[in-house]
Amino acid sequence: MTQSQTSLSQTELENQLKAIVGDDKVKTDPDSLETFGKDWTKIYPPNPSAIVFPKTTEQVQAIVKFANEHRVALVPSGGRTGLSAGAVAANGEVVVAFDYMNSISGFNAMDKTVRCGAGVITEQLQNYAEEQGLFYPVDFASAGSSQIGGNIGTNAGGIKVIRYGMTRDWVAGLTVVTGKGDILELNKDLVKNNTGYDMRQLFIGGEGTLGFVTEATMRLTRPAKNLTVLVLGVPEFEAIMSVLNTFQTNIDLTAFEFFSDKAMRKVVARGDVPAPFETEAEYYALLEFEAETEGHIDQAMELFEKCMEEGWVLDGVMSQSETQAQNLWRLREDISETIAEWTPYKNDISVVVSKVPPFLNEIEEIVTREYPNFEIIWFGHIGDGNLHLNILKPDDLAKEIFFEQCAKVSTWVFEIVEKYKGSVSAEHGVGMTKKPYLEYTRSAAEIGYMRAVKAVFDPNNIMNPGKLIDME
Amino acid sequence: MKVLVAVKRVIDYNVKVRVKPDNSDVDLNNVKMAMNPFCEIAVEEAVRLKEKGVATEIVVVSIGPKVAQEQIRTSLALGADRGILIETDEKLESLTVAKLLKAVVEKEQPQLVVLGKQSIDSDNNQTGQMLGALTGLPQGTFASEVVVDGDKVNVTREVDAGLRTVGLSLPAIVTTDLRLNEPRYASLPNIMKAKRKPLEVVSPADLGVEIKSTQTVVKVTPPAERSAGIKVADVAELVEKLKNEAKVL
Repeated sequence: MTQSQTSLSQTELENQLKAIVGDDKVKTDPDSLETFGKDWTKIYPPNPSAIVFPKTTEQVQAIVKFANEHRVALVPSGGRTGLSAGAVAANGEVVVAFDYMNSISGFNAMDKTVRCGAGVITEQLQNYAEEQGLFYPVDFASAGSSQIGGNIGTNAGGIKVIRYGMTRDWVAGLTVVTGKGDILELNKDLVKNNTGYDMRQLFIGGEGTLGFVTEATMRLTRPAKNLTVLVLGVPEFEAIMSVLNTFQTNIDLTAFEFFSDKAMRKVVARGDVPAPFETEAEYYALLEFEAETEGHIDQAMELFEKCMEEGWVLDGVMSQSETQAQNLWRLREDISETIAEWTPYKNDISVVVSKVPPFLNEIEEIVTREYPNFEIIWFGHIGDGNLHLNILKPDDLAKEIFFEQCAKVSTWVFEIVEKYKGSVSAEHGVGMTKKPYLEYTRSAAEIGYMRAVKAVFDPNNIMNPGKLIDME
Repeated sequence: MKVLVAVKRVIDYNVKVRVKPDNSDVDLNNVKMAMNPFCEIAVEEAVRLKEKGVATEIVVVSIGPKVAQEQIRTSLALGADRGILIETDEKLESLTVAKLLKAVVEKEQPQLVVLGKQSIDSDNNQTGQMLGALTGLPQGTFASEVVVDGDKVNVTREVDAGLRTVGLSLPAIVTTDLRLNEPRYASLPNIMKAKRKPLEVVSPADLGVEIKSTQTVVKVTPPAERSAGIKVADVAELVEKLKNEAKVL
């Protein structure tokens, strides 16, 4: 089932939902349907039949039970910042939006945990942690809109993964409503709990296909001290890996990002932030680390000196204040937004770190050979082996033809991903856009087990159907 | 031409400032400190004068605790030639700072003294002016352009009505405004070179200045928190509230 097969009339559907959540928590006006029916992908026209806003886990349970009874397909909706159409309702589904389940409670200073409704916005949790003198380290450009429930459903990563891991690493416990309508308390916030299958992990990154996360206990940690940013100019791609290796064997980096000169020139051209230095370099590496003492700075300087001597680095700067650190970060973080005007084709792929250079070269070679007029923009979390491939649409090429050609590029790219045993989606999830390519990363046997698992939790295939895997 | 630049170590511009629970002061415990942004602009301007061949030596001075050396090192990495730290853990008022700077001016005899127009911690905007009064040197405050022309400096000042350019005979004092320039980053090779540049540490007593306090902080309180907004039902209600509650119509 990829769409609602309910025999209920629209009026009956609305009335039954209203009976569960109240009249004012069901919306069917065109604006709401449009807004809550899509994410950032904007490929599939939104077409939900209603948006429902539960306030409690019990209401979510009632909605799921009702949906089972009447075969209504449900799509979870958080901050709708996804990039793989995982939260898109294009086939008459009912959207379950968690916006009103946004309370933070039960902070425990000893356990360093806090209880969040699925609708808590990432930044809200970050700020809450800061008020307690702690830190929630999962961070990315959309943190001001994305919700914890969505972060968990997609196992969101971001810019600090090299040090702090993905969302998965910060979930102590989950309350979920399964596709069968059961409420499960998973892991009970324990650090050690070897009592069999850790089902919590299935719901993390499960994209709402097994059930919906309604509440989560998130772990917090001590705040990083005096985060200092280096931006280094690097003559060739291979040198970035040498720089990474040199620093990583000596310093606990909190981030290691890279971007190409082409990407940075476009950001700088907007005039918001200056280039780091005048020396020209083909690539840039952005490193972040905690400079708790003068000793840490000295160590970073020594490593920089070594990289200069080896010819891996041409020039570099170090932030002297928080403002400078933020401005240096913007060279990397503003890329996505900056290149949006070229209607870029995007891919979010990963391989193990050691294979990154040949992997990148192979992709670049084939794209350049087949489409020499395409401009390729690389950036990404290279410390995690995660590359964001962006191809800009040439001005004289029609959008339709460009995307047709990009579909071919996708196949080549994913064949290379398969060859290098990489992932077709490093941190953006599968949703609908990556679903056709899942087999490049997951074997047929694996996908078979995934289907079987889904059938256990969601026998009627009502939970976010048509995302991640097809059941037929 | 010798240029003297004063830099101050302040709470980082991006740090959310917290007040101590007993309202005695701002909480500086474990708080990121950095160079005052207006002082960064002052250093940048001096470096540009040197790059243009106008300045021959840049001396940077800071007054504060031992760790204020960090801000001097940053200035040296940006292009200053040597540093002076007037080390003290005392709380400093603008007048004391101006007196200490006056002593440095007398000793160093710079042709140009460049300071930030104010520091973002105390926001007084008076040290440059006081230094002008104490030394008797002409001053060009709120500079958005500085052009040295022989034994004169033309300073374009940002004033309420627009821009006013004053011609000062050297030696002179300039305080910097935001639009004067965009400071550069400290490059790593220059940060390393800066370690070998001379940094002299002196005490206020060495300069013959006694640190006196004429002010007492009565109480430090955070700004009132904004109360939550409300939704109005229609335009009529909005107009009514703007008229009677906000009293802006």
